[in-house]
Amino acid sequence: MNLFFKPAKTLGASLLIASAFIAQPVFANGPIGEHVNHLQANLKSYNEEVEWMVGKVDTLVSTYENKGAKAVNTDDLIEYWESVKFHSAIETNLVPVYASIWQGLYGVKMAIDGGKSAAEVRVQQTAMNNALWQGLGAVKLAAKFQQKGLLESVTATASKEMTQSATIDEIKHKLDRVIAKLAERLKDEATEIVHDTYLHLFEGVEGTLIEQDANLVEALEKNFNVTLPKAIADNKSVDEVRDVVTSMQTKLDRAKRLIEKAEKNRKDVF
Amino acid sequence: MERRTFIQGLAALGVIGSLPLPLSQAFANTVTKPVSVDDLPKLKGDLTLYLGRGEGGLYENVLQAIQKNNPDFNLAIRRGPTAALANTIVAEAKAGVKRADLFWAVDSGAIGLVTDAGLAKPLPDDLSAQLQKQFKYKDWAPVTGRIRTLPFNTSRLTKDQIPTSIMEIADSDLSIGWAPAYASFQSFVTAMRILQGDDKTAKWLKKVKKRAKTYAGELGVVMGVERGEVDIGFANHYYTLRLKSGKPDANLDLAFTQNDAGCLVNASGILTLNNDPLATNFMRYLLSKEVQGYLAREAYEIPLVNGIAQPDGLPSLSSVSPPKIDLTQLADLRPTIDLMRSNGVL
Repeated sequence: MNLFFKPAKTLGASLLIASAFIAQPVFANGPIGEHVNHLQANLKSYNEEVEWMVGKVDTLVSTYENKGAKAVNTDDLIEYWESVKFHSAIETNLVPVYASIWQGLYGVKMAIDGGKSAAEVRVQQTAMNNALWQGLGAVKLAAKFQQKGLLESVTATASKEMTQSATIDEIKHKLDRVIAKLAERLKDEATEIVHDTYLHLFEGVEGTLIEQDANLVEALEKNFNVTLPKAIADNKSVDEVRDVVTSMQTKLDRAKRLIEKAEKNRKDVF
Repeated sequence: MERRTFIQGLAALGVIGSLPLPLSQAFANTVTKPVSVDDLPKLKGDLTLYLGRGEGGLYENVLQAIQKNNPDFNLAIRRGPTAALANTIVAEAKAGVKRADLFWAVDSGAIGLVTDAGLAKPLPDDLSAQLQKQFKYKDWAPVTGRIRTLPFNTSRLTKDQIPTSIMEIADSDLSIGWAPAYASFQSFVTAMRILQGDDKTAKWLKKVKKRAKTYAGELGVVMGVERGEVDIGFANHYYTLRLKSGKPDANLDLAFTQNDAGCLVNASGILTLNNDPLATNFMRYLLSKEVQGYLAREAYEIPLVNGIAQPDGLPSLSSVSPPKIDLTQLADLRPTIDLMRSNGVL
């Protein structure tokens, strides 16, 4: 037997809660540090990084407020965020908040670059701060699950079981990543994720789904192939694209219920 | 002695799967009917399977059932896109690493990548004996098949209005739905290249492109046909069967071409990468009548073992005329992609 496979763990009911935090080995921003497999040991430094980040952005916004746009370089905002370890801790544990942090950063950046009032910049800054603190909370919770052995290690090996209902969860997660990539201003990557998710994941479950609800499949087909790619191509805002994704995720929840029912009714193999 | 008793006796002695060749061949001659899992030896030990994703979970159900039925068997599974896993196996072999014992791929082209690299081990004769005549290969076992079909809108066409030659369809006045980015479509074009040559295939692609509506996937094609957006489509058979299962009054039926790439039967398949009898015995479970019947019933896949019923709604394999082609040749995908790109299809 090959030693790089770990035996499956029985997670029990807690998995339902933990599943929101299960790490996914799909990243686009370079290597993820090993620290994400030791969250508890790094909580103090994550906390310090969030405080540092909040302070740096506040200093930049104050400078803009007092001295104007020429006194600041808004690209520094991205540098700050990409320099902290907390970046990958939240990316591996709660993608929706990860997306919100990027959205907040670009909100501040674009408001300054667009010459908006300091008050308007502060609104974006508050949204970003809220997302950062929310993210820290999520990482703390994930650390607890990790301590109990309920969180998978981040590895490059795809060994996760993909039942049809698990596939739906994976699709929902991929759609969150679409928003994250869009919030990072990586439009092509976002579109590629939509395309790959359709071909490699949704395509594998829609056969079963169409036997349960042909109209639902039709609606999701349209969302994957027209509505969502078009919203991205038309440069809709992150919030507008998130609305499309949220609507798809609601449909996917129904799809999951139908698939679970079908799986329950399916006869045993032998 | 009853066959079942005979096999169980061998299993109890722990010799099945490691039979000396002449005895294995003699045994093979008796296995022409589907074998039940009840007749198979219990699996004991550890194996690692590389599993190309497909049918979103039904293969997983099969694997779980096998493990449940064999408590002393531990199966480690690495999952991923079929082509990526095939490349991984070849790369690992080049690096002198062997992690996988078995490779179960949803596409025979990916199987071809591994067999061409000389990494697959020969099948024992008794396994080959179970497979339908046209699906016997030296070093891999097709598990289930899917056939290329022409779904058509029944409110707009009757079956006899559809050409039975895939090449003639390009010259017809039918509107067509296709999914050129879809892997099964590309395997079909590869088969056309092999059977008809690149020039004829290029002309066919150009002609069809003029009247084709493009969909992302083949279920989309079938749904488009049913809605009447196009007259006919190119798609694997199971999309139509499943749509009709969920929507029995759908304006949809299946037509088949004859003896050309238009009715290619492609297959999922499994191969072993070592000579461990346990790996071979694992393959026997996939060819058992229970697993073959399950995949036919639940996934509408075509069983390739003798004596198993086809999925409902599909004519028997003997009544259609797929082309004679070595499915592992479908691994030659790069020239297909180049041809499709140079003709503006991709």
